[in-house]
Amino acid sequence: MFFLTYLRRELRRRMRQAIFIALGLAIGIGLVITVMGASAGVKAAQAKVLRALYGIGTDVTVTTKPKPPSSRPTTGQATGPGPGGNGGHATVCLNGKCYTSGTIDTLVSGNYGALSAATAAKIASLHHVSAAAAGLLLTDNRIVLPKTSSSQLQPPTSTSVDGTDISHPKLGPLSNASLTKGRTFTSADADANVAVVDANYATAHKLKVGSAVTVASKKFTIVGIVTQPQAGSPPEVYIPLQRAQALAVDPATGKSMKSEVNTVYVTAASAADIGAVQKEIQHLLPQATVTSSSDLASEITGSAASAAKLAGALGRWLAVLVLIAAFAVASLLTMAAVARRVPEFGTLKALGWRSGRIVSQVLGESVSTGIIGGALGVGLGFAGVAIIDKIAPKLSATVPSATSGGLQTQVAGPGGTGGPVTGGGPAVSHATIAVPMSASVTVGAIVLAVLLAVAGGLLAGSFGGWRAARLRPAAALTRVA
Amino acid sequence: MDITHGTVSPAESTVYRLAGVSKIYRKGGREIPAVRDLDLEIKAGEWLAVQGKTGHGKTTLLQLLGGLDRPTRGRLDFSGRDLAKAAESDVRKVRASSFGFIFQTFNLIPTLTAAENVEAALVPLGVPHARRRERVGKALDSVGLADRAQHLPAELSGGQQQRVAIARALVKEPRVLLADEPTGNLDEDTRDEIIALLDTLWRERGLTLILVTHDSAIARRAQRIGVMSRGCLTIRQDTRA
Repeated sequence: MFFLTYLRRELRRRMRQAIFIALGLAIGIGLVITVMGASAGVKAAQAKVLRALYGIGTDVTVTTKPKPPSSRPTTGQATGPGPGGNGGHATVCLNGKCYTSGTIDTLVSGNYGALSAATAAKIASLHHVSAAAAGLLLTDNRIVLPKTSSSQLQPPTSTSVDGTDISHPKLGPLSNASLTKGRTFTSADADANVAVVDANYATAHKLKVGSAVTVASKKFTIVGIVTQPQAGSPPEVYIPLQRAQALAVDPATGKSMKSEVNTVYVTAASAADIGAVQKEIQHLLPQATVTSSSDLASEITGSAASAAKLAGALGRWLAVLVLIAAFAVASLLTMAAVARRVPEFGTLKALGWRSGRIVSQVLGESVSTGIIGGALGVGLGFAGVAIIDKIAPKLSATVPSATSGGLQTQVAGPGGTGGPVTGGGPAVSHATIAVPMSASVTVGAIVLAVLLAVAGGLLAGSFGGWRAARLRPAAALTRVA
Repeated sequence: MDITHGTVSPAESTVYRLAGVSKIYRKGGREIPAVRDLDLEIKAGEWLAVQGKTGHGKTTLLQLLGGLDRPTRGRLDFSGRDLAKAAESDVRKVRASSFGFIFQTFNLIPTLTAAENVEAALVPLGVPHARRRERVGKALDSVGLADRAQHLPAELSGGQQQRVAIARALVKEPRVLLADEPTGNLDEDTRDEIIALLDTLWRERGLTLILVTHDSAIARRAQRIGVMSRGCLTIRQDTRA
């Protein structure tokens, strides 16, 4: 009771100094919270990108490198009218067949090699694995050959297609999508020609629920339209995995992928098990590429990655430096205050007060100041985060695309064999996307602020208290004289 | 060392017994003796005034007697306990329970009210809050400041501040009152008031009063007057004989 009365009165007496110390601590703590908020925002932006690539619940993805194409051409080659042409008609050769008219529509696995369909089940049985789902990331390539020799050969079009494992709706690219119209897949759709399409793709092609979309020359009825929050290149069309397997062709062999997949999405039993899961899968499939979300994060470049580095390195050190400065100033001011109060402490010692009681009084005052600083710091942190939210430009993230992989096509222009029309092929492509950064104050940051405030107060009070404790009453009272 | 005993009855118990007490300060390799080989006995209920020039050891003697400092040499018994060798915690307990201090500059805590300043003396004794309030009220009443209990020191005159300091010294019901120039910062009228108050309290409560003063008029009120000169104490006068 007396402790609190004395503490309150002393804080009021030295209000200006208390405010100065509290403000110093508040700036340091506010900066720490702001940096943590910005860092969390950048990480969240990165996570959004990663989630869009492989879904919310995916901790690890398993793929293999594609094998080189077989000697038989699996990619198209076109020749056009001209001196070196074929009777004036464009000819496209694909998988050993040559076409001079009509539409060629093939569904191929681009970036990744084939894995056995049983791979997902094997991975799912591993000790640290919670769930595993198979997927086929494919590209539907379409070439429309001109009807007459005078017509120009149009560049081929590519559509990214995801063969979705319907039995694992919480894994894979579709798990992160938000349904805007229609419905998603049900177990009854496993072998049906139904599709879910991305909203951007639907808008671009004027598609709606009930419309048809063509994949590998087959008509699929659109049952739902989805949006992905952010992604490098989200799949444009999702079809049931079984249908995708039936229609897809492995460009390496030119054969159907009926009993194959090219991606396995894995959820670890816990976040701590991700490393163990990676090792187990690597042991099971030595040739496979096992990628965790942190591996993917390291592949993200652009301003999002730069901001993450900035927040992680410069921001953290700046916050630490400001905190150290604030703690040092608080300590020095507290020591100066104790020096001014030497006669007062001498009097209390003369009255029989224990040194410990005097020290706890000094500590109480400085911890109270620290807590006030902490509260102000949390307020400043919220303000800083709000300012970042207001002024932060959209971050750009360049991410490895999981769904790209176009048909390598050469088109012969008028007058002979021509150059490439589209690239891509089996090489991994990258896409740059804009990611909105939304900084936020986390509970962890607030807890840290409170701890820092108490620590700052204790540190400052300890120096002052130590000085007060060492005073000999006679020496302290002599200062009065 | 010339020690003259005063009018205190031999039957009365001895509160202090000092034998060969010296206090030497060391500064820059030099030894500065503040108190030299002092032998002294002070009886319970005695009023001893200590006079002397500035820097001749009066305050040092008072600090030694009050357990605020320790002698460099000698034995300093208070109620049979050698304060020179006692543990710091024991000396602190003695200070808290047995000694009341009055300072020239009052030494009130500026942020605490008069009542809280007085209460501060009871904090180390662990007196319960309600009892503390009661004793504080009585102490302030005894110095005529019951109506100023909630005033801050800055709102009180010098004389009133010294009365608060006296109340603070008395509230713990000490055996010894140690006053260092208690009227040094006061005008003549206020000085007389304070000294009259101390005299009354000394008589009524049977306190042992050791008072350091430059003022001979005040010193003459004491039973014995000792003069400190170059660290040596000479008892010159038994004024109440």
